[in-house]
Amino acid sequence: MDTIIQQLFNAAQLGAVYALIALGYSMVYGIIRLINFAHGDIFMLGGFIGLLLTTRLGWLPFWVLMPLAMLLTALVGVAVERVAYRRLRNAQRMSVVITTLGVGIFLENLVRLTVGPETRQIPARLPSGPVVWLQQHLGAFVTWDKLWIILISLALMAVLWLVVNRTLIGTAMRAVADNKDAVPLMGVNLNLVIAVTFAIGSALAAAGGIFYGQAYSIDPYMGIDLGWKAFIAAVIGGIGSIEGAVLGSFLLAGVEVVTVAYLSSNLKNGIAFGLLILLLLVWPWGIMGRPTLKKV
Amino acid sequence: MNLRVLVLLPILVLAGCKPKVQELKIGVSAPTTGSISATGQSAKNAIALVQDEINAGGGVQVGDKQVKVRFILEDDEDKPESTATVFQKLINQDKVLAIVGSYTSKCSNAGAPIAEAAGIPVVSPWSTNPNVTKGRKFIFRACFIDPFQGRVVAQFATNKLKAKTGAVVYDVASDYNKGIAEVFRDEFTKMGGKIVGFETYNTKDTDFSAQLTKIKGSNPDVIFLPNYFNEVPLQIQQARKLGLTAVMLGGDGWDNPELVKLGGKVMDGTYFSNHYSPDIDNPIAKTFIAKYKSRFGIVPDAAAALTYDSANLILRATATAGKADSKAIRDALAATVGFQGVTGTITYGGGGDPVKGAVVIKVEDGKFVFDSAVNP
Repeated sequence: MDTIIQQLFNAAQLGAVYALIALGYSMVYGIIRLINFAHGDIFMLGGFIGLLLTTRLGWLPFWVLMPLAMLLTALVGVAVERVAYRRLRNAQRMSVVITTLGVGIFLENLVRLTVGPETRQIPARLPSGPVVWLQQHLGAFVTWDKLWIILISLALMAVLWLVVNRTLIGTAMRAVADNKDAVPLMGVNLNLVIAVTFAIGSALAAAGGIFYGQAYSIDPYMGIDLGWKAFIAAVIGGIGSIEGAVLGSFLLAGVEVVTVAYLSSNLKNGIAFGLLILLLLVWPWGIMGRPTLKKV
Repeated sequence: MNLRVLVLLPILVLAGCKPKVQELKIGVSAPTTGSISATGQSAKNAIALVQDEINAGGGVQVGDKQVKVRFILEDDEDKPESTATVFQKLINQDKVLAIVGSYTSKCSNAGAPIAEAAGIPVVSPWSTNPNVTKGRKFIFRACFIDPFQGRVVAQFATNKLKAKTGAVVYDVASDYNKGIAEVFRDEFTKMGGKIVGFETYNTKDTDFSAQLTKIKGSNPDVIFLPNYFNEVPLQIQQARKLGLTAVMLGGDGWDNPELVKLGGKVMDGTYFSNHYSPDIDNPIAKTFIAKYKSRFGIVPDAAAALTYDSANLILRATATAGKADSKAIRDALAATVGFQGVTGTITYGGGGDPVKGAVVIKVEDGKFVFDSAVNP
């Protein structure tokens, strides 16, 4: 039996989670040129908020739980920006980057001390039976939760695209990305635009965390490795670009899965990242990235 | 030269040399935080039990007097680099006589050279990788080693489960997992089985679906997962979600209550080799299990039982040596014959590896049930 279709679904699920994280990196970078290294830990926190809500308020339907967890994580993201990053907005680049790392370590230890260091799983709330149609017609054993995770993630990305390209706040975000200093002169509240960006990025990361906790597992330190992978995906796609972050994520997940399936699981990271370095040599700004011209 | 220095120096030197045995200090290096902190907790519990037991009786008889024992437990976080620091601290700062630890083989392999160089005897409760004691005089262990364990599982798969094809998924970055995976592959092949998949991943990976889907293509009878209890349930869950129906097998790294807490129903019908089973008929084990249960409210896992045995091995060797001296304790340890422990009888035949049997445990309704015993 050929397993290639099944492998494609594996890659799509992993890629969807990478994309939900990568979008936050890319949006924040696009708007204030900040690489927010605490973003991987926001993703982790989203997973744990999802876990707490599912275990404490288990009677709520998933369609309420998930937006609620996303909302709470968004508030944390906004709070982090307000408390830790805003006053450093005009400080040296290095100070802010160090602060983001510090916030990340703080969040990891906060969760470790309050919830504990053990690996956990979010109780499955999505149906987990196999999709019979796929099994009969394509010979691929795919469970409904996997399909749902992929579909909901894609839907969230579509909503994001609409928000950024078809709404007033989205226009403001694009304007800030274009020229942060000119936008306030037009009467746009810069702090609000930045706060909304952090809120959206954190909410998407929380969705990723919840999916990850159901499909795989969560622990307080998972944000480090996955954060790096998502960051790399964002860079490959062209950091600052929404389409690029999504493309880069699915590409990274695809390369990882294909390497394991057809080459060697031993060399997974070596081959995957080797290929991505080659890709960056060809497109130094990422696939969809725009070269930034430095004005002298 | 200053007169005061001339007078003080000999006094200080003499004071430093004078052997004052007020308490015996024994170090413990265990992962009380980190991904397998549940094992560290078992170690901590068992050590507390040993310390209270021995001190309630006045301590260890060393020569002509009784000396109280103090265990100094340090967290090695299940990281090799932290284990090296812990061993250095215990030896140089705390001046311990001997060390119990560490737990995973990768950590023991990091700590052992330090203790070996300092001449401090070590008994590792749970490190089954052969390299831990190889070529070392001061390093012992209370458990069997992986070549034996791998053979036990391969035999079980071939004889009892009548498996013809098998696959392995293991953490290539960890000494224990890698060692036992290779032994299983070789033994299973020798017994006439066929290995149809030999896949790896890296510590902290959480997505195993690509490896498992690849294995699914060859549909093996059994899948051997020689990994730790914090990962195994997720691997099995992902395997079932991908439609794999093989019987899942494992090693002693599975043995922790977290296994069924995390895995739930998905763990039922799986088997793993272990050091002991709480169902075993052994009076020492029964007393230990009863005490442990009444104090901590849970049934001790193998890590707890082996910690208890390791600490008692050191205490007995100290009494036999008759003096609080690391070298003498090492010699007494090496001469241990017929030590009756919770996990069986321990005799060191020259090296630091005991000759011991193993048990195979089946997971049924979320409980660990004794299936069969295998002797070397």
